[in-house]
Amino acid sequence: MAVYVYAITPADHPLRLDGVTGVGEPAEQLRVVTEGDLAAVVSDAPEGLRAKRRDVLAHQTVLQELLGQAGVLPLRFGALAPDDDAVTDALRERAANYRDRLRALDGCAEFHLKASCPEDLLLAAVLRESDDARRMNEEIRSGHGGQDLKISLGELVAAEVTARRTALGASVVEALRPLAREVRESEAVGDDFVSASFLVERTRQNAFLEREAELVGEYGEDFDFRLHGPLPPYSFV
Amino acid sequence: MTVVPQGGGGPVARGGGGGSSSSLYDVLELILDRGLVIDVFVRVSLVGIEILKVDARIVVASVDTYLRFAEACNRLDLESGRKAPTQLPELVGEMTEGGARGKSKGALTGAVEAFSDSFRKGRDGEREEEPEPAEERERSRPRRPPRRREE
Repeated sequence: MAVYVYAITPADHPLRLDGVTGVGEPAEQLRVVTEGDLAAVVSDAPEGLRAKRRDVLAHQTVLQELLGQAGVLPLRFGALAPDDDAVTDALRERAANYRDRLRALDGCAEFHLKASCPEDLLLAAVLRESDDARRMNEEIRSGHGGQDLKISLGELVAAEVTARRTALGASVVEALRPLAREVRESEAVGDDFVSASFLVERTRQNAFLEREAELVGEYGEDFDFRLHGPLPPYSFV
Repeated sequence: MTVVPQGGGGPVARGGGGGSSSSLYDVLELILDRGLVIDVFVRVSLVGIEILKVDARIVVASVDTYLRFAEACNRLDLESGRKAPTQLPELVGEMTEGGARGKSKGALTGAVEAFSDSFRKGRDGEREEEPEPAEERERSRPRRPPRRREE
């Protein structure tokens, strides 16, 4: 029977999992596989498991529950071992490595921040500040200039919008970086200008949250900040 | 999932599981694409999900996108010229010019793009669906009246 693996924890982790269930429909029962001073939280693997919303949420819920109790190494969604013995083998073979990571992440959690700014706001700023963009825009509006002029305007504006998003993202990340132990940025998509994960020590969590709340106030209500956390340290394992 | 309340809620981080589809979307990339990998284990197929990583900024460098931007400028200028020329926010320019300080007032007006349909669908019940790829989100962008995202 294949085994779905959620997390690696120290064996002395409280591992309270009452009322929490695993992936699958019906949800699989969670259990713990222990090897030396390490433990893995696993369940039977349902047939034909795919990344459905329900299952991704179940994976995240198990990890969130474990994080609330003590340190945890979250596995990426979808790890399948052939059986329990394969899990204990993996724990034994890489014990030193997992122990080091658990120690390094002890007392830390991940906060993930995304923030967006409506595109129209950026376009308005570009038109206001770039004489070239304004001139081309006027020309197009008055019926002069063909496709080439539109493409030139679009190219200029696209570059300006990207530059503004990049600057916005950098300023947000730099404002929070001093309060995090590590930062990992990823590409922001859509109207988002930042997508960043921060590894924050529990003792500095309040300071981090206060600073982020200040940023929300400073940027104003047209900006949409979405902060998630404390999360299992997915980005820092 | 834990979501820190935004907008002056103070430094309160709620613990515990729970979970909601709306906040799941934002952390999907973490759950699917980060986290520990144990190389001797196999991994569930994520066919159809990998598209999450599509980089929207790469798409920016295309003629279609340039035309879209040009048309957006044209439309924006017309609309703002007719309705409320004085309300064009000063904020963004100040911030990008000012580098890392980002001080500004919180009194902007204007259209706030509401969350995409994919979010709403997720929230309203399609919980058994696979998470929608980011590309879908890019495409469906209804303009909506100004409103703050629901928390």
